[in-house]
Amino acid sequence: MSMLRGFLTLVLCFMLGEALRLVFLIPVSGGVLGMILMTITLMLKGSVSDDLATASQGLISVLVLLIMPGVVGVFFSADQFSGQWLAVSVALLVGTFLSVLPTLLLMASLVRAGQRRASDD
Amino acid sequence: MTDLPERFLALPNTLSASPILAIGLTLGAFFAGNWLFRRMGRPLWLPPVVLSAFLLSATIALLSLDYTRYQQGAQWLMLLLGPATVALGIPLYQQMHHVRALWRPILCTLPVAATLAAVYAVVIAWALGATPLVLASLAPKSVTAPIAIGITEQLGGSVPLMMGGLLVTGVVATLFVDLLSRVLSITDDRILGFALGLNGHAVGTARAFEISRTAGAFASLGMGLTGVFTALILPLAFRLW
Repeated sequence: MSMLRGFLTLVLCFMLGEALRLVFLIPVSGGVLGMILMTITLMLKGSVSDDLATASQGLISVLVLLIMPGVVGVFFSADQFSGQWLAVSVALLVGTFLSVLPTLLLMASLVRAGQRRASDD
Repeated sequence: MTDLPERFLALPNTLSASPILAIGLTLGAFFAGNWLFRRMGRPLWLPPVVLSAFLLSATIALLSLDYTRYQQGAQWLMLLLGPATVALGIPLYQQMHHVRALWRPILCTLPVAATLAAVYAVVIAWALGATPLVLASLAPKSVTAPIAIGITEQLGGSVPLMMGGLLVTGVVATLFVDLLSRVLSITDDRILGFALGLNGHAVGTARAFEISRTAGAFASLGMGLTGVFTALILPLAFRLW
């Protein structure tokens, strides 16, 4: 019962997000809006109820299950993108390398700068 | 009596009239993929979701099921993605104390790195002559799947192609973080975790939890913040473009 009560909260929050998206024509999915609303509400409240924690853990642990039907589609719509595969694979490989490198460098230098500032104070 | 074998062979298609077959197949492949992943000694380059997807596609092909029919049945599972995205807000809230401790590096790195993750892929693919449909499907490549599905739908991309790109990105980002951190001799678990979650979404986060709990917490944070940031920025950027 506890899990279902938490699930109801999640569904209501999702529907609130969808409602906001449809009424204010926001180009962001209802799920993301619901997630932001959820995070802000919890930050204001300062705690998570057990019901909500159980329901969210349950759903997050089966996320892979929920996205599998979408993943499988790539095998069945492969010919739709024939001639695009070179562009796709180069973009994914090189693009990911080029974004991982600055993430590590930037984060490492900023953390180091923060530590230096802390030791100066 | 002679139509008994015929009725037997027609079973996959008669059963697929109800969504329960699609749900059963997906569940079965999910558990089989996880089992196989453990048996193979948890390889870094082959996450369970890829294994499960291979098994599921092979089963659909072997039973010669109509793919669109499978998809219709599986819609019932995908319905849960909305509430599941909302559920991601709970761990995000639980990681918020890390933001307070390291807010400056996190808030400076996030917009730059999350923008680069999307921009590089789109620009490279565009330079190599990819169609707008492909570009819209590659843009959310570093975002966790439930959020990325919403973004792709907003941008008018192809969800299957985006999912394929998402998985490749997750695996490749994990390998690159491992390699580059060794080359740059970065050993801070917080930095490694954040980079894994930011670039490699759920696949990277799973790897971060193998490094340490701290790395895992920072990966969840990086994944969540990248998801929110990209979901808010990309649709606006594409509309202006």
